[in-house]
Amino acid sequence: MMKRLKLANLYLIGVFIILYAPILYLAFYSFNSADNMTNFDSFTWDWYKEVFQDSRLLIIVLNTLVIALLSAAISTIIGVLGAIGIQAVRKKRIETSLLTLNSILIVSPDVIIGASFLIFFTMLGIKLGFTSVLLSHIAFSVPIVVILVLPKLQEMSPTLVDAARDLGASRLDVLTKVILPYITPGIFAGFFTALTYSLDDFAVTFFVTGNGFTTLSVEIYSLARQGISMKINALSTVIFLFTFLLVIGYYFLNQRSAMKLSRPEVK
Amino acid sequence: MKKLIQLFVAIFLISGIILFALNRLNATQGYSGKNVLNIYNWGDYIDPELIDQFEKESGIKVVYQTFDSNEAMLTKIEQGGTTYDIAVPSDYAIAKMIEEKLVLPIDQKKVPNLKNIDPRFLDLSFDPGNRYSIPYFWGTVGIVYNQKLIDGKEPTSWKDLWDPALKNQILLADGAREVMGMSLNSLGYSLNETDETKLQEAKANLMELTPNVKAIVGDEIKLLLANEEAGIGVVWSGDANEIMSENENLNYVIPKEGSNVWFDNIVIPKTAKNVKGAHEFINFMLDPKNAAKNADYVGYSTPNEAALKLLDRDVREDKRFYPDKQVTDTLEVYENLGKEMLAHYNELFLEFKMHKK
Repeated sequence: MMKRLKLANLYLIGVFIILYAPILYLAFYSFNSADNMTNFDSFTWDWYKEVFQDSRLLIIVLNTLVIALLSAAISTIIGVLGAIGIQAVRKKRIETSLLTLNSILIVSPDVIIGASFLIFFTMLGIKLGFTSVLLSHIAFSVPIVVILVLPKLQEMSPTLVDAARDLGASRLDVLTKVILPYITPGIFAGFFTALTYSLDDFAVTFFVTGNGFTTLSVEIYSLARQGISMKINALSTVIFLFTFLLVIGYYFLNQRSAMKLSRPEVK
Repeated sequence: MKKLIQLFVAIFLISGIILFALNRLNATQGYSGKNVLNIYNWGDYIDPELIDQFEKESGIKVVYQTFDSNEAMLTKIEQGGTTYDIAVPSDYAIAKMIEEKLVLPIDQKKVPNLKNIDPRFLDLSFDPGNRYSIPYFWGTVGIVYNQKLIDGKEPTSWKDLWDPALKNQILLADGAREVMGMSLNSLGYSLNETDETKLQEAKANLMELTPNVKAIVGDEIKLLLANEEAGIGVVWSGDANEIMSENENLNYVIPKEGSNVWFDNIVIPKTAKNVKGAHEFINFMLDPKNAAKNADYVGYSTPNEAALKLLDRDVREDKRFYPDKQVTDTLEVYENLGKEMLAHYNELFLEFKMHKK
């Protein structure tokens, strides 16, 4: 028993090493005074200083964040309403065809979606920039939110809604007091998935950026042609630490609210 | 429900704060003003200090954006929807842009510093009379070799690559024109050859090279060579310069049969809004001091004769990157061979790639 546990632990440790090694390797060299990743010269903060002094890079980071937050929030709202709509469809055939259409958007290659958006926006005369990037990010996030919210809706017993209606709840009450609280975990999952999708999307974003507006993925990609500068290492390390702290913060908040909930029961 | 509302209110609040910060940042950078110049350049292809300097001298704010391939840049400009005032495509892309009327003519009277450019690099086949483009950087295609790994067998010509002693030692850049050109050059033909028998001969010649070829790779060729994964690489001189600074066992040579010479030139796309500013910028970049500073930062070869005099002696006299006229006379620019011929080149290259060892 003891031995098997150890083996399992070793396996787990191995997996985590593989997952984290590239990031740690990258972070390690962000302190390198030489400008390459082949050998470590000496310790330096220079790359971090450069990142924070480069206002262009800072603007790009903020662009990326604001696009991710807004597109994730908006696509979550649209996606949740869409999922509820699909769920409400009575005819099975129509429901499955709607779902299939939704899935096609998820599996179709980003490059194609990006190119289509480029042609579409220029045809409509929308100038490439903030609006075009935001719209396309919302567009490719909505199907993902739908897919993540739908199982929660299907899990919900229809008798819940019936009971609420019997007790005199209006349609709006049913939505806000019964359905939405029930599917909240799905909504959160959808929101965070949309957020990460938006943060690291390159292919679609690449086509629709323009007029001075660009995001981190596109910028790093064109920088990479000249070999990755250690500045990028420093920036990646900062962003990694930032997300790390966010996740830890989220975890502790959850713990606290869970404790609050469980306290009366203990008493 | 309360949790959800809290989340969304928080998100929109944070977004609002970021948008406000962005607005302020953009304002302090002057991006929201009227007098703006949109530059579309390769990643890390200009000294950032020069942009600051240009902004100070001219009062024009620069919005700088980057791309990673000619094709990507062409797509963006072709589609419209952008307002780039300056772009920096390579030779064949310039020919294509001129053909498709995607560029505006350059008023040479407004760029007096054009006189600093070495006449060798003016009036080339892709843009006769430099009506649409001004040289920015240039370079060659050649051989990078690792003295340690191929002891004594230092290549000086394309033919040397066919030496059986180099079994499994060669990395090729993944470009049909580059690889076919290498084979054509090694046979003594032009790399713009369109004669079918000569092309077939070049392909057969390539097939014989297969035992020596380790891999045909993209941009990672730099990393592979610097890490000594192979003894020889066929690369662009700009890449060569970069990897040589990382690994001192490496050396670069322009094969004596001749090779390709490439150019990245500045053009004004037809989408330009600030044509006056674009001319000012071109003239600014042609100033010897600025061009020298830029060459120092980027590390590619500058076509600016006056700037060259300002560079360090060991850079300026490095014959590998600033070859003499006898050598440059053997070099050729890729000509626009037309769609059909280009497809044929690709096909021959593909057949070579599929050829079994």
